[in-house]
Amino acid sequence: MKRTAVLLVLLLAPLAAAQTPPDHTPVDLAHAESIAGPPRAARLTGAALEAEAKHIAAVLRCPVCQGLSVGDSPSAMATNMRQQIRELVAAGFDENQILSYFEASYGEFVRLQPPLRGVNWLVWIAPGLGLLLGLGVVSWVLRGASAETSETPAAVAATGPAVDVVPDPLPDDPALAKAVLRVRELAYGWPGGVRPRKA
Amino acid sequence: MNRKVFVAGLAVTLPLVGLMLVSLGRDPHKVESPLLGRPAPPFSLRPIGGGEPVTLESLRGKTVVVNFWATWCVPCVDEHPVLTAAPQRYGSEVVFLGVVYEDEEPTVQSFLREHGAAYPSLVDEGGKVSIAYGIYGVPETYFIAPDGTIVSKYVGPLRRDLLDGFVQEAQARTVTRRSDAR
Repeated sequence: MKRTAVLLVLLLAPLAAAQTPPDHTPVDLAHAESIAGPPRAARLTGAALEAEAKHIAAVLRCPVCQGLSVGDSPSAMATNMRQQIRELVAAGFDENQILSYFEASYGEFVRLQPPLRGVNWLVWIAPGLGLLLGLGVVSWVLRGASAETSETPAAVAATGPAVDVVPDPLPDDPALAKAVLRVRELAYGWPGGVRPRKA
Repeated sequence: MNRKVFVAGLAVTLPLVGLMLVSLGRDPHKVESPLLGRPAPPFSLRPIGGGEPVTLESLRGKTVVVNFWATWCVPCVDEHPVLTAAPQRYGSEVVFLGVVYEDEEPTVQSFLREHGAAYPSLVDEGGKVSIAYGIYGVPETYFIAPDGTIVSKYVGPLRRDLLDGFVQEAQARTVTRRSDAR
């Protein structure tokens, strides 16, 4: 039995050491508590601890490789932060507390997902607003274009002349107007691009 | 000119131009430290080469300059003479500390033997203190007032005039407090 226990320790010790960076001193839990308050969550162990730590590391920005999360970054700083996250999760700090702990040192920039406060709202709603605005502009321009094309001979024959639309409108730009007239001449056979008057 | 297209174009470009004008002169890489004006995170670190740990708490009442550096960092090597010469100029009222960032102890010892050491360089095992101080890279230097508050932070290699300015600012916090107490 004793021999088995010793063998297990010898086999598992390297695994345990691999999880902890060399020359590591534990995170100052008192300092963490002074920033984030007393731990609010259950103390996790094993697979649950690793899953929670991985999840939190994925939403923190690596201070060195700033385009990467702490979870993805190969830097020594990220390795140290991952270890601190594990220790804080094991001590019972929840996700918000751990994010606040790192935010106290690095500022909001350390969060990969900007929290929903102040000017950060712009980051979350601007893309949707931009899409709606773009759709509105496209719709407005197309509506104007369709009003111009409703005066083609085929359209007039099918529906009758539009009462409210200026017949055969031309663009304000003289060069463009000249080009439109030329197109009409070629497309419809109107002399000079002007609709022939009905006899 | 098509007025609708012109107006739509202005609606898109004017906010973008406005945003660019507002950002002119600002460094997009600069991130303000949230630690300014707040108590400096405590630490207790052993010096390179051994000895009793140095704790920040024991230095209360003095102005403290904490410089995060590494031997592989070229700007750190550039500023080293400025920092090494400083303790002699300021005397005992200002304490200088180096915190070694992601470096090997033998390499640091060799560097200090060659370039000189006028104040303790401390070993930050596991980067605990670097994380607590929000270090993005090196060199970064914090200036702590005698009451333990972080007064300023400087990113980059220090020149003598910059160092003097920041130290005076940290010392002035004492003067302000003394006049408040009268």
